[in-house]
Amino acid sequence: MDGVLILKIVIAVGIMQMLLGLISYLILLERKTAAWIQDRVGPNRVGPQGLLQPIADGVKFILKEEFIPKQADKVLFLLAPIAILTPALCGFAVIPWGGILQKGATIPVIGWSLPVDFPFMVANPDVGVLFVLAMAGLATYGVVLGGWASGSKYSFLGGLRATAQMLSYEVPLALSLMTVLLVAGTLSLTKMVESQAGYFDIAGLHFLPKWNIFVHPVAFVIFTVCIFAEANRTPFDLAECESELVGGYHTEYSSMKFALFFLAEYSAMITGAAVMISLFLGGWHLPWIDYLIYGKAQPVDGGWIDVLIKFCVFWGKVVAFLFFYMWVRWTLPRFRFDQLMSLAWRGLIPVALAALLFTSFVVYLHKQIDLQYPNLWIFVGNLAIFGVLLAILSRPRAVQNRRIAVPNSRYNPQLAQRAVPVEPA
Amino acid sequence: MGNLITITIFMGLGAFFVFFNMTVGALVRPKLPNADKALAYECGELPIGQSWVQFDLRFYIVALVFLVFDVEIAMFYPWATIFQEYKLPALVTMLTFFAVLMVGYVYLWRFGYLEWVRSSVTTSLAAREATSVSSEKLSVLARRDPEQVAKTVNL
Repeated sequence: MDGVLILKIVIAVGIMQMLLGLISYLILLERKTAAWIQDRVGPNRVGPQGLLQPIADGVKFILKEEFIPKQADKVLFLLAPIAILTPALCGFAVIPWGGILQKGATIPVIGWSLPVDFPFMVANPDVGVLFVLAMAGLATYGVVLGGWASGSKYSFLGGLRATAQMLSYEVPLALSLMTVLLVAGTLSLTKMVESQAGYFDIAGLHFLPKWNIFVHPVAFVIFTVCIFAEANRTPFDLAECESELVGGYHTEYSSMKFALFFLAEYSAMITGAAVMISLFLGGWHLPWIDYLIYGKAQPVDGGWIDVLIKFCVFWGKVVAFLFFYMWVRWTLPRFRFDQLMSLAWRGLIPVALAALLFTSFVVYLHKQIDLQYPNLWIFVGNLAIFGVLLAILSRPRAVQNRRIAVPNSRYNPQLAQRAVPVEPA
Repeated sequence: MGNLITITIFMGLGAFFVFFNMTVGALVRPKLPNADKALAYECGELPIGQSWVQFDLRFYIVALVFLVFDVEIAMFYPWATIFQEYKLPALVTMLTFFAVLMVGYVYLWRFGYLEWVRSSVTTSLAAREATSVSSEKLSVLARRDPEQVAKTVNL
């Protein structure tokens, strides 16, 4: 068997374990963050500072009794948690978190040296972005199945809402990614991260990292909003809003099956954050400090130490972004359903299309008539889009109450003085 | 080939994790069924009828619109990848496709299919001609002459 393949398998097993460990500790982080923001203590009984809480949770999930409603479709009910968690975990396979181990590096213990450059990740396909999108799209099936098969009205409504939401936000998500693809000209996540490892040359100064967020801010904002919606996180958690639908599509799930739904949500969050960091925030690129370590911008390939640095930087960024998810959760209230749909179809999609169109023109002019500084032009265009948006959103509205005025209406107070008052009996 | 093998292994590990947990849980957890536990949860009330009720048609429209846009995205991804090589032909092709798509999008917007709460004022041409103003202006008018507007809107 090929030595490179063995190394890949070891990485696959390792990263899967790490992913699952991270997910279980994310739940603790979520609770601790909630407690911190709400000025409480949070879980602190199991182990020092509550650090063994995930283990206690896991044991409980295994030992609790499980109910399956009489009305449920048994096969689909069983299939739903499998259908949601497996693709959610699988999406992480193509995330480039380790850079490239250079040719000739020796594997410790075996003492065997690599004959080729080795991308330090589970798999490095040329269509990484498509793979992640496909796996994210499969998550919808688990939600639909879970909601439909439960045989409960809350689950059914939650499943419907979640489906409509995930479908709607997949469109702007894919459109905002396309803006980045157009400039990068590749679907490989590794190559995209490589293209961001460096600095812009601004009047001879190299201080601004060459991250896509500084070129495509509109796409970045849209992508962030969409990964929140795709992971069903607040402010887009209408699928499972406890005040209306109890638990949404997983109302009827108990014990381990419920835990699997929970794990799927968190693993979708991690994958979303990792894609976001690879595409917009420089992946494993360590800004400014790399001058101190290497004396120049961080090289793409290197030895084991470089891989370790890249690994730490990447996961540091991921955890920071996951904290952002939690911060948002305890800061923003939930949307109303019509606002949610309106934001996707009438807000994010036209803006994403405008950004895409503008970017394609700039790239075309750059290639055809050699337009200088394409990145700067794209950035200026993005700023213009933000400006237009701000102008549209801040225009004064003629009437705040948009309900059509009808005599005796309870909802349009403008007619209150002309309405016939109803005398209490 | 190596990618395919490792992705399959990764997926296999994920599936193994799921099955392992479900099997272990099934072996060790207690099983004490009774009729009340098997009821669907409705906050303590006895559920009435089936849960597979007829749902709002608007979900169906969302699915249809999504299908159109998803096809568009499937067409745009290869285009975006090779755009830099093909230059003008790629741009012209895309703009044509884009124009066709925009006609549909403007239609949807104009007739209120993108609004979740639809009213006959936005969706029906007859209602719109009768009022010949947007719903926002309508409520301004309604302040001045509520009876007349109410008569017009309740077509």
